[in-house]
Amino acid sequence: MAAGTIWKGSIHFGDTEVPVKLHTAIKEERIHFHLLHSRDHAKLRQQMVCVYEHKPVPVEEQIRGFEVEDGKYVIIDPEELEQTSPESSRLIEVHEFVKTGEIDPVFLDRVYYLGPDINLKEYNALLAALQEMDVEGICTWTMRKRSYLGALRAKGKILLLNALRYADEVISVKSLELQKFSLSEKELEIGSKLIDQLTVPFQPQKFENEHEKKLRTLIEKKARGEKIAVLRPRRLKPTSPNKLLQALEASLKKVA
Amino acid sequence: MKPRDPIPAPSKPLPSTGNDMTEQAIWNGTISFSLVAIPVRLVKAVEPGRVSFRMLHSKDYSTLARKMSCPEEDKIVPPEEIIRGYEIVPGKYILVTDEELESVSPERSRTIEIIEFIDMDEVDPVYYDHPYYLVPSKGGEKAYRLLVEVMRRTNKAGLAKFVMGEREYLVAVKSYEGALALITLHYSEEILPGDDFQPKDGKVEAEDKKRIKKSINKMMSGFNPGKYSDIRREKITDLLRNKAKKNGVVEAPGTGEEESEGPADLVAALQESMRKVKRKR
Amino acid sequence: MNRRAVRISGRRLSLTNLEKDLYPSYGFTKAHVMEYYLLISKFILPHLKDRALTLKRYPEGVEKDFFFEKRCPYHHPSWVKTADIRRDKGDRMTVCLVNNLETLMWVENLASLELHVPLARAATPETPDSMVFDLDPGEQANILSCARVALILRELLSELRLASYVKTSGKKGLHVYIPLNRKQTTFEDTRKFSKAVASIMQKNYPELVTAKMAKEYRKARVFINWSQNSASKTMICVYSLRAREKPMVSFPLGWQELEKLARLNDPEKLHITHSKAVRRAEKQGEIFRDVLTKKQELPHL
Repeated sequence: MAAGTIWKGSIHFGDTEVPVKLHTAIKEERIHFHLLHSRDHAKLRQQMVCVYEHKPVPVEEQIRGFEVEDGKYVIIDPEELEQTSPESSRLIEVHEFVKTGEIDPVFLDRVYYLGPDINLKEYNALLAALQEMDVEGICTWTMRKRSYLGALRAKGKILLLNALRYADEVISVKSLELQKFSLSEKELEIGSKLIDQLTVPFQPQKFENEHEKKLRTLIEKKARGEKIAVLRPRRLKPTSPNKLLQALEASLKKVA
Repeated sequence: MKPRDPIPAPSKPLPSTGNDMTEQAIWNGTISFSLVAIPVRLVKAVEPGRVSFRMLHSKDYSTLARKMSCPEEDKIVPPEEIIRGYEIVPGKYILVTDEELESVSPERSRTIEIIEFIDMDEVDPVYYDHPYYLVPSKGGEKAYRLLVEVMRRTNKAGLAKFVMGEREYLVAVKSYEGALALITLHYSEEILPGDDFQPKDGKVEAEDKKRIKKSINKMMSGFNPGKYSDIRREKITDLLRNKAKKNGVVEAPGTGEEESEGPADLVAALQESMRKVKRKR
Repeated sequence: MNRRAVRISGRRLSLTNLEKDLYPSYGFTKAHVMEYYLLISKFILPHLKDRALTLKRYPEGVEKDFFFEKRCPYHHPSWVKTADIRRDKGDRMTVCLVNNLETLMWVENLASLELHVPLARAATPETPDSMVFDLDPGEQANILSCARVALILRELLSELRLASYVKTSGKKGLHVYIPLNRKQTTFEDTRKFSKAVASIMQKNYPELVTAKMAKEYRKARVFINWSQNSASKTMICVYSLRAREKPMVSFPLGWQELEKLARLNDPEKLHITHSKAVRRAEKQGEIFRDVLTKKQELPHL
């Protein structure tokens, strides 16, 4: 089932202008649970409640505040907030091009398909150029009052727009305070060999969301009144650092 | 940019300014490949940059919180009385407990088992969903470093599935800047085929392509995300700063601000003491 | 030199971005911030000890975005002491306890320029160790008006046999603390008491004082914020820096000194900078120590 067009825009850089239609590229189907009241199984709903009076507050009495000091807020009117919205524009402005593969996956956010609008020739020419040069365009655009940063690339016969996270949204690895550890060449060698042995081509189609299927089965069983056996989760014993080399060698023997 | 954190309960989003609701580590357990097991914790790798606001009561500026309420009893429901149910027909539910959920895939609940490795170059970026970091727990630091280093050298990622909360995730574990990043992936069946949107006619005019390539060449660069900033966020921050200067801040009062001056004895004692103070001044 | 690895009490700590200017119009880098906290550590640590820390982080300096962190950052070294506290929603939260120098340095490495702590200790979150009056001047008032109010307040309290101690907020106000340090004291007690005191003050000095939150009452007056006496509120820790244009400090003053400075009629004299703070602390010693130890009981409750 195809998702509808959610937005229309126009890719722009230099003399090039390519009108496009934006579609979501991902469709997630999950079993959804509702939250219920244990006493009467009534479906619960969310309400904004005043923490002092413990009473729900109607929407007209709700305002937005930004906490500047502990417990102290600056109030913002919806109109003022509205004014900070970027001007609406249909341009997907490309600022630069980079070689594909330079952008680390941690920066990737939502993905959209960009189908052609009018001017099919330009669309196809751009697609071919991106593909043959193996590059992605770094661009910015405004959609639904938000400013986006993204990467434009070719995928088969269609253009893809991948929203990116801003640099300051990715937590620096430095903050993880990871310790440095010296490893012996032997450990690294065996580790590399092991990984090579366990390497297969990337075939994502072979993975199915088994859990969803099992969950459905569980629900059906319960619906029929069958008893469910609850099994305890398995916890693996961690490999101690001085047994690491041993474990690696044994693993290699196992897979070889 | 719409921030999403697909790994839901027991947590919620962003830490900034009083809105901190995330748990300690999002998940902890072991990551394994073949016979090597490494104790790890899963933590956030991204902080959505949007400015987060608190909802306040316009009357007295007290903070509002989202609570679940029962429409039958029209009351707030405490967490102990909340259960999970799947609606099989409208109004009829099958109840599912946390343990039953966990039991559905017992072999994966506390472990991320890497069954195979793949070449990073083979992964189409469309598969990537949400990134996290894995941090080694006590005793696992050395094995962790080994895995990071080896994957970096070979440019490989480990593929695994693991279950947390209500969902199962297909994940890629790779090295990133000296740490292990765990990125959830979309299942193939969740990626819409491009066919529905792509052009029916793929003809390319050589001249057009040449011109575009020329433009592209002029604009080649190295990827530096730091160059770009969220304009809207900056505007909001400026607005807030100005408002704070102009209007000052408000604060939630305590309960009963409108009420009495206090216990009679105390008020009387204070009045008496105040008289003495004024006399002396 | 932007990065440095140090050892404190045998623990490794990696200090980063030391050359980053966190107070750009004044010129005070992260290294300077850390140096300040190092020099003031023996004075500030007793006031941070065993209290749930709220960090206020300015990673890009005082002119840019900041954020609060009540939860202890996940990525903390194993030697950072933490405590689990229960919040009113019922969920648990892990907080940092700055109980030693290395933890203080780690926190400062995260650019937590300001350190905020509750009035109660983490293990006994409903038992305030002291009662506080947060004196906040309106737009047309200033720290001198706060000084006037503080001095009257102190006299009033001593009529009730309660000793009190005063510190600057590091911004425009003053904080008056009344040590209690008794396990029977509750926040309900301190709220009732402080609210009654604030009302009496307002009644008797209406042009100078207000006990009401709403802005229209506060313009030329000093607001006595008694509602800070709450388990969910925090106060800037004594000796902490503030994130203003200049690195000012929330610094304790002697009552006689406050009287003298107020008479000089120069608000600048009541603004203590980082270097003054270190000099004075070294010279006069710990004059806020009694707030942690003196036992007092609130009368007439």
